[in-house]
Amino acid sequence: MATTTTTITINSTDLLTDELSLSTTAALTQAGNSTGLTGTAGLARKKTGNTSEYTLFAAASYTDDKAHKAYLKNTSTTAAEYFIVEVAGTVVGRLYAGDWALIPWAADTTGTNCDIDITPSAADMTLEYMLFTDE
Amino acid sequence: MATTTAAVTLTSDLLSDNMSVSASTTCVKAGTTADGLTQMEYGYVEVATGDEYDLIATTPTASKASKLYVKNHSTDETYYIAITQNTQAIGRLYGGDWMFIPADFHDAAADIAITSNGGTNKIEYALFHEGTVLVTT
Repeated sequence: MATTTTTITINSTDLLTDELSLSTTAALTQAGNSTGLTGTAGLARKKTGNTSEYTLFAAASYTDDKAHKAYLKNTSTTAAEYFIVEVAGTVVGRLYAGDWALIPWAADTTGTNCDIDITPSAADMTLEYMLFTDE
Repeated sequence: MATTTAAVTLTSDLLSDNMSVSASTTCVKAGTTADGLTQMEYGYVEVATGDEYDLIATTPTASKASKLYVKNHSTDETYYIAITQNTQAIGRLYGGDWMFIPADFHDAAADIAITSNGGTNKIEYALFHEGTVLVTT
């Protein structure tokens, strides 16, 4: 069985009066059991030629309502450059230069397809991404 | 200025070669390099099965560089929370899973809601943001 682990560490010494130090690790497993995820798409990079919207992952290509996870990182070093990240046509948020995200993904296809789309704020930006799939 | 860093490490033996990906970001205000996010909400809730709950209402200022961390502390692997935004399914966080996403709050319908499934889910969350739109009394 494949083992994929994800660890996040959030630290701040001066945001609050007391130091913030938060860390957790999760093994990525299939929906409803402890078997590790066995599928992946990536690791990959996409350079966007213009500011059009791009579909990164199409929900129709994956089983819906599972435990998929998507990793995204904006590799830009220009502070004002960001990717708008949408799921099912809803803006989730903006990934600014250097930012990363780990997003659970339903890949739902009932109603609006739950595609993950990105729209760069400038031409020639690069997104690093990976999808762990529960198939 | 506050300095808050968020780092991730992904390791896997899924492929023929072992994979290890690391990334770290300093949580700064939109379009800046050194002006750190200075405000946060941090909480822990238990949500009974079947209940839908607005984890974060759309009070943070829209279209900024807010970040949301959510962890499902449930130890039963069949328990999960469904994450929705603007009634659209985003994904499921099963027991032990966590997520870290940018959060836009672009309109009044863009609350981030969770629905508990399988049993009572125990949810930790932290929102780092640039400010809130205070509701008048």
